[in-house]
Amino acid sequence: MLAIETVDLVKEYGSLRALSGVSLSVPEGEFFGLLGPNGAGKTTLIRILTTLLRPTSGTARVMGHDASKESGLVRALIGVVPQAMTSDLDLTGYETMDIYARFYGMRRRERGERIDELLEMVGLKDRAKDLVATYSGGMRRRLEIARGLVHKPAVLILDEPTIGLDPQSRHVVWELLESFRKADSLTILLTTHYMEEAESLCDRVAIIDYGKIAALDTVPGLKKQIPQKDSIELGISGVDMERAVDWAKSVPGITNASYRESSLLVSSDHGAEAIPALVDGLKSLGARVSRVVLKEQTLEDVFIHFTGRPIRDEEAKKVSFLLGAGVPAKWGK
Amino acid sequence: MNRFLAILERDLRKFIRNPLVVAMSLLMPIIYLVILGNSFQGELKRLPVAVVDLDNGPYSRKAASLLHAVSAGPGTLEITRVADQGFAIEGLKEGVFKAVIVIPNGFSRDVLRRNLSEVGLYLDNAETISAMTVRASVTSALAELKNEFVSIREERAATRVRDMELYRKIDYDQTLIPGVVIMAIFLGAMTTGAFNMVMDKFLGVEESYFLTPLSKTDIVIGLIASGLLITTTLALIVLFLASLISGLFFWDGLSVAAFGIMLAVIILSTLGLQGLMFIIMGRVNHPRIVGVLGGFLNVILFFPSGAIYPIESFPGWLKVFAFVNPETYSVHAMRALLFKGAGLEAVQGDIAYLLVFAVCSVLLGMALFKRSL
Repeated sequence: MLAIETVDLVKEYGSLRALSGVSLSVPEGEFFGLLGPNGAGKTTLIRILTTLLRPTSGTARVMGHDASKESGLVRALIGVVPQAMTSDLDLTGYETMDIYARFYGMRRRERGERIDELLEMVGLKDRAKDLVATYSGGMRRRLEIARGLVHKPAVLILDEPTIGLDPQSRHVVWELLESFRKADSLTILLTTHYMEEAESLCDRVAIIDYGKIAALDTVPGLKKQIPQKDSIELGISGVDMERAVDWAKSVPGITNASYRESSLLVSSDHGAEAIPALVDGLKSLGARVSRVVLKEQTLEDVFIHFTGRPIRDEEAKKVSFLLGAGVPAKWGK
Repeated sequence: MNRFLAILERDLRKFIRNPLVVAMSLLMPIIYLVILGNSFQGELKRLPVAVVDLDNGPYSRKAASLLHAVSAGPGTLEITRVADQGFAIEGLKEGVFKAVIVIPNGFSRDVLRRNLSEVGLYLDNAETISAMTVRASVTSALAELKNEFVSIREERAATRVRDMELYRKIDYDQTLIPGVVIMAIFLGAMTTGAFNMVMDKFLGVEESYFLTPLSKTDIVIGLIASGLLITTTLALIVLFLASLISGLFFWDGLSVAAFGIMLAVIILSTLGLQGLMFIIMGRVNHPRIVGVLGGFLNVILFFPSGAIYPIESFPGWLKVFAFVNPETYSVHAMRALLFKGAGLEAVQGDIAYLLVFAVCSVLLGMALFKRSL
């Protein structure tokens, strides 16, 4: 069964199209990443899947249930970790978990066991009786992940779960997500704009931009789709550079070669494997190799390839100045 | 069922984690009772009055001694004899005296000849309340100066009025108790229930609640239930403390049944105000607005409720406002129960209004609540 399925999902805010026809299928048990620049439509898509928004057209299904027509059922099946920190500061970690478990109608004993288990896993057992206000950002995030899992959801949805966390906390969150996935055969949908996060966690990644899916594949599959390859830069001397370039182009696995001053620049599909052959060959030409720099193709190259460099025009947030958002910008002039 | 109880528990826990809020919610009405009860007393005392006797005859001395009797007895006036009229008037202008009484030359002669005898009364009428009190006090004191003369240009009352108090003696600060209780209810309603919703919005916490199976009804009922529990408790504590401070021990005068009715009045008033807050603050997303609204609502609900000044003396437009104001009915009912030993018949109209108001405001508040971002 498909854990998440969207068909031609469109969401319009007035004249602005946040989503224009998104179709996705995520099978059960998959770790799926949604990558995209700010304002690309990631959060809108998440909010439709989590029943907070209704799509203008198209359908969104979670575990076979329509997110807008069967919102109650869907809410019971999903666990969500929103982008902003959403835990009450003046409750303890345990109370937060217990109160949420009750929203799902869990019985007292069942709650107690599940909460202990989860707090143990996220490493907050010793701090369970402390107020959330005393937690660091990383601890709060871990608590919110545990909170999202308290009712054993079928699908866990996280909206930029590691935003604003230090590298240590980020790695802890990654490890947690890996372990939860294995333990509960959970389907996980995660949005992020950390490439490293998508690369190390996700089975498949969709790159979303301007409300559309620009590419969707496994990480290695996405890398194959773009022309930029691994590049190798070799510092050489004692040989004619033109001759070295001509020779390099003839080496198997090398797709292109050029030079700049005393550096030979080579492109290859598998840069790391090509280095020994290049160094040996250049030596046999009588060249001396002083340094080798390998720059491997990353998911970031893929991301930039599909989304381009310009910063997005983001939709101005709608706020009411009457209710405390200050005066409109035009009055300030 | 279990769900709204979880919201209720959350709010109660959050409330007790903020002891300053608990303390202020109790302290504010009590401070109000103490300050207002002592500054704004029913009867004025020790108003300084200068007496200038230009006559120095037997009747002027008698008049002066009658005035002295007022200062020694009820203590409304504090009489100072001043020889020079100009000096006394100067003192009045500077605020040393609230009034100057001038007994003119020839006063005793006029009294004896049964001519119209007059006493001059200079009043500091910039302070209306003390001027009225001084005039009344001086008039009644001089009325006792035999029948031979007419005092200070006012007709002597033909009949004497003897006060027959209908209810047991009630001090001014005691009459404030219903107002203080309704103020506690207002403050409670202001800082619980709908306010928690505003704070959740402001802190962005509401999103995570909307992601759970909680329904709109679960959320609103949970918030109102916690607000009701907290506010009713606060109101009862305030009622108890106000009783202790003002010396009107309600447990002596109130039957169990009457206390039950009192409790019903408190609960219905709380529910009505909780619902009203949901209607007003339904779309508010910043606590600062709640602060401003709080002051505003307190003025427009509390002062026209009859808690400190009788509604009958209001101008028409304000009477209309008092008529729809739920606090008016709460104050009326509590006053009847506390001071008049009234039963259900006397307050059933109030209870009916409060009930209708509570049901309507809670239902409307619930309907206006938006369970989406």
